[in-house]
Amino acid sequence: MSSVDSLPAVHSRTIAVLGNPNVGKTTLFNHIVGIRAKTSNFPGTTQEARHAHYDDSVLIDLPGVYSLDLDMSESVVCRQVLAGDLAPAGVEAHEPNAILVVIDATNLMRNLTIVAEAISKRLPMVVAVNMLDLAKRRGIHIDFDRLGECLGCSVIGCSGKTGEGVDDLMSAIRDAKIPDRSAPTDLDAIEAWGEDIYSLVASAKESPSNDRLTDRLDRTFTHPLLGVVSFAVIMTGLFWVIFKLAAIPMDLIDSYFGTFGGWVAGMLPEGPISGLLVDGIIAGIGGTIIFLPQIVLLFFLLAMLEGTGYLARAAFVIDRVLRPFGLSGHAFVPLLSSHACAIPGIMAARAVPDPKDRLATILVAPFMSCTARIPVYVLLTVILFPDSPAMQAAAFTSCYVIGVFAALLSSLLVRRTILKGASRPMAMELPNYRFPDLKAAALLTYDRGMAFLRKAGTLIVAVSIVLWWLGAYPNTPVIIEPTPETTQEQIDMMQASAQARNSFLGQIGGAIQPVFEPLGYDRKLTIGVLASFAAREVFVSTMAVQVVGSDDTEDESVLDSIANATRDDGSLLFTRATSWSLLVYYILAMLCLPTVVVTAKEAGGWRWAWLQLGWMTLLAYSGALIVYQSITLLS
Amino acid sequence: MISTMQELPVTEQKRDLRSPIPLTQLTRGQKGRVRIEDTTEEVKLLRAMGLRPNSEVTMCRLGEPCIISLNGHCGDGCRLGLAKEIAGRVMVHVDQDTDQTKSE
Repeated sequence: MSSVDSLPAVHSRTIAVLGNPNVGKTTLFNHIVGIRAKTSNFPGTTQEARHAHYDDSVLIDLPGVYSLDLDMSESVVCRQVLAGDLAPAGVEAHEPNAILVVIDATNLMRNLTIVAEAISKRLPMVVAVNMLDLAKRRGIHIDFDRLGECLGCSVIGCSGKTGEGVDDLMSAIRDAKIPDRSAPTDLDAIEAWGEDIYSLVASAKESPSNDRLTDRLDRTFTHPLLGVVSFAVIMTGLFWVIFKLAAIPMDLIDSYFGTFGGWVAGMLPEGPISGLLVDGIIAGIGGTIIFLPQIVLLFFLLAMLEGTGYLARAAFVIDRVLRPFGLSGHAFVPLLSSHACAIPGIMAARAVPDPKDRLATILVAPFMSCTARIPVYVLLTVILFPDSPAMQAAAFTSCYVIGVFAALLSSLLVRRTILKGASRPMAMELPNYRFPDLKAAALLTYDRGMAFLRKAGTLIVAVSIVLWWLGAYPNTPVIIEPTPETTQEQIDMMQASAQARNSFLGQIGGAIQPVFEPLGYDRKLTIGVLASFAAREVFVSTMAVQVVGSDDTEDESVLDSIANATRDDGSLLFTRATSWSLLVYYILAMLCLPTVVVTAKEAGGWRWAWLQLGWMTLLAYSGALIVYQSITLLS
Repeated sequence: MISTMQELPVTEQKRDLRSPIPLTQLTRGQKGRVRIEDTTEEVKLLRAMGLRPNSEVTMCRLGEPCIISLNGHCGDGCRLGLAKEIAGRVMVHVDQDTDQTKSE
């Protein structure tokens, strides 16, 4: 009978997997459980929890920590799980039945700190000495039996990469027992204890090799000039690949949902049900899924890049740029991801260790030009520079630059006022350069993609339905007097246009229009801006519906008719001043309800979401006002 | 033989008397022994990351960030990147051996 059996019977046997960052813990975890892992949050925290069933147990992959005795949220979560106060959603919280401590064979001495802390928990435990393949190559020899004697528990050498020793490890976990030796608890004593054990069990056959390549790469990647250049090259390549490759599935999704919507519309009699299904639900789901290829590619490539070890170096390069503005180098992945979509970007801010740094990152992330803004940028730059592709490209690029500047300035402001203090200086391990773990990258991408679909999908669909309803009702018939010159098609368009004006959305637009008058927007544009709250890309189709009563924007003449749309008094709608003002508004404004919800959730309070919404609206409004008024004055 | 016996304690003494300097003042390739005593949150993290008292570190890259190695050689094994601000607060005793190798 092992000591495990004497523990009180609970819902399920749990095994907590504990270890330092960069010890290959996740690779080992994936090797043990395969693709069965579930990703969720530890309830009430922003720390990600992965857990999986293995035999009759649940394995919980804890966040990587250097020590349990720190104030960082990762350490707090580990302490709570080990104390039985916290468990991933769906797992009953109780003291783990066993701890699996994963340590790095090539960094044994440092890793003994967390082993000592685990021993002090007095729970059954097993130590996995991982990265055995690498240690062998480096000529490092570890006496596992002796280490087991020193620690008083089973010690198994293994490699999550090659699978060596994993079977032994699993049978050792089944028989895990409480260590029959104790470990010191005081930091000084732990260090001395670790050094003693290290000298007893480890020996390097030869002196460590001096890997010149790693040193050279490190110095290049963190160099003040070369580091920035290589960063720019790598990131440009990354984005080029994302936009280039994602375009293919995005077009497919677009045409598939278009065809499917048309098919459903053809199957059902015209009426509210068909409208709800086609314009509300199918259009809403299509509008969300279309961003999935970009998000999936972005996360996959970022995970690969992280796997090579480059991201740790890039974080230092970008830290130099971001720190003067009160953001940490850790904010780089969230801000980069926000260029695809602010929602996964804000979710990625969990990786920022300092709470104030993390809040600042979340608050400014939506300033990054997400892909949903692209259709609007395209429309307006084409209207502004119809004959010059070069100027279109320049204007397009400056949209991105303006967004980044607004983010940096907002962060500076927020760090001088409500989130006072400098960002935390970085201390980070620079992991070895290696070939990325494809399986881990694929699993992470799958998790992120599903999280995006669940969170944004449900929300965007709900908002699309509400907006569809607001736009479609009240559906009072509009009588258009047919004259000999008008065709049936024109009558349909005029009816649709009149309906749009009469709908709830049209009425709201009419009521709010005076607010946007100083920016040069008429009622139609106001409705377009309001509709954008569901998702920005709705703007183009909303404008199309209002201007011509048809949302078939593929048709060249429709874009032309938007460009040549007139106000109620017959003057040109998209004047130079109005177009610039609208462009500035779309760069800076928070026109995305799902982002507001995600901010509230990730920042831990609605006040942060309201602050973000208020500040971005204020900045967008004043920016657009200045642009419109000065262009009007100058011309 | 006798002379070396007499000299050794002097070098030992000299090394101990030499006042510690901030990590940022090491030159590239120079080794130092870490003097770290506080138990502030930052120091606790650095110690858990392997920057423990009396451990030997090698300076691999100066500047922002500075890169140090905990395994005696730059490049191989465990390397830490530290913001200048943090590195400036970590004190080290310069290792005499590397000091001499450098001056030779």
